[in-house]
Amino acid sequence: MNTHFTVEELVCDVSFQRYCRGDDALAVAQWTAWIEAHPAQQDLVEEARQLLSILNARQGNVQEQRGQLADGIDRYDLLKQSLADQPTATILPARRRWKYVSVVAAAALLLAVAGYYWYLAFLPTKISPPAVVRAVDPVVELRSGDEPRKTVVLPDGSVVTLRSHSSLTLLAGFNQSTRELSLTGEAFFDVTHHVDRPFIVHTRAANIEVLGTVFNVRAYPSQEHVETALFRGKVVVSLKDHPEQQVVLAPSMKAIVSDKGGLQVDGGHKATVHVLKLSPDPVSHKAQEIEWLRNRLRIEDEPLSAIAVKLQDWYGIQISFADEAVKSYRYTGTFESETVVKALEALQLSYPFSFQVDKEKIIISK
Amino acid sequence: MNEDALNTQYWEQLRKGDKQALFELYNNTYFHLVRFGLKITAHDELVKDCVTQLFFQLWDKHTRLQPVTHVRAYLFTSLRRMLLDKLAYQSKTSAAISRLSADEVAAELSYEEIIVRVQHDEELRQKLHRAMQQLTPKQKELIRLMFFEGLTYEEVAARTSQSIKTAYNTIYNAIHLLRKLLK
Repeated sequence: MNTHFTVEELVCDVSFQRYCRGDDALAVAQWTAWIEAHPAQQDLVEEARQLLSILNARQGNVQEQRGQLADGIDRYDLLKQSLADQPTATILPARRRWKYVSVVAAAALLLAVAGYYWYLAFLPTKISPPAVVRAVDPVVELRSGDEPRKTVVLPDGSVVTLRSHSSLTLLAGFNQSTRELSLTGEAFFDVTHHVDRPFIVHTRAANIEVLGTVFNVRAYPSQEHVETALFRGKVVVSLKDHPEQQVVLAPSMKAIVSDKGGLQVDGGHKATVHVLKLSPDPVSHKAQEIEWLRNRLRIEDEPLSAIAVKLQDWYGIQISFADEAVKSYRYTGTFESETVVKALEALQLSYPFSFQVDKEKIIISK
Repeated sequence: MNEDALNTQYWEQLRKGDKQALFELYNNTYFHLVRFGLKITAHDELVKDCVTQLFFQLWDKHTRLQPVTHVRAYLFTSLRRMLLDKLAYQSKTSAAISRLSADEVAAELSYEEIIVRVQHDEELRQKLHRAMQQLTPKQKELIRLMFFEGLTYEEVAARTSQSIKTAYNTIYNAIHLLRKLLK
């Protein structure tokens, strides 16, 4: 091959085009070697590559794409294998403590029939980057990225749904003697009750100590307030810098902590706490604080496999099936639930099945 | 063996559980499927994801697959259905994407529309749109055949009834002009 090309020559070279598309092993090998041997022409090669990508409408590289498919299939086969090996995997019984499932009048249909398939969960797409939540990991960070919602089951069984561009860091030793984590952004928590292991959410301006309960926290770095909205149970909100300044929050109330001095009535401290009622939506009378999370799921005689797809897309957690028969169970009704676990529990009430929650994955079985 | 016969053979092997045959079929049809998808919607990421999912599904249900005479046609139909489902879903959940009206989905996108729309950068989109207008209809057609359809010079020349040398020169000059205009 030549030692020098112009950008135009590269773009017009059929073999270079094939190298960029990845559909000719020989061209790939030759050009990979050539590019390595001519580092001075990196820029030209890059420009030619970009021009080709523009002109072929980003059709991509078949080798790279096939790699993604192969990874997805490997993961899927592995899971199938591990399910076959462990027929006695622990299956959570239906937890009956949440009976508040409201069957509401069908209004807006938030989730329509989608072409998403449950096995989407196994494809290494940008939708669900794998992160493993283990109690032994020193520090675990969970990010929602661009996903509208991302649901994670923590090692203690608590369910957290992160809003987009939010992140959660589990502090070292989470679920050993304490359960402490820090939040940037917004998240909805449904915390399991463990008296011996207090659950504490650290934010920029406030700490929230929890006893088994359901609440939403807004703690964006760009906002002056940290807002904690409580739905059930009890939480104690204290100022980060003055932990003796604290309020005990009752259900349907929210605490707003401002860390800009002088904005609030109380003087003396830089940060202040305000307690307000939750803001009900004028139409639905539901708290606007969790508008981002609420999912009205209307189901009309649909198989569980289709419902699982809807739940998976809405809550941002993988849902898969351990056996085929369950997939065809059919349900009808309208549900409104704050977490994916509750939505599944609501379904269990009308026709029982089991499910197992595991980190970032839910597996449904008979 | 021609491509269709080869695909049918891979299909039969896939039904018997041959994973390699799935990847061979993927290699043989990937660009056809992506191009087909891009004519439906210029969301290149969505199209590529759907192609991957389509093959994932084939693997998932390979034991239940029926014999198919026209494998490529079968794949096109499945991809089209999957894309339309997803677009319908997105238009219900995202105002931004709902700009893709039903008409746009129904009509096949032209090459120029596709290459402009897949770009996310507004400045590049405008530049590209203007640059394409500077090309002659002949240049545009040859560029589409070569880069979008992935043909060789021999094939481009045969399709457009001209010599290979003329085809090369036409494309070279068009690339030279585009490169200047896109700078």
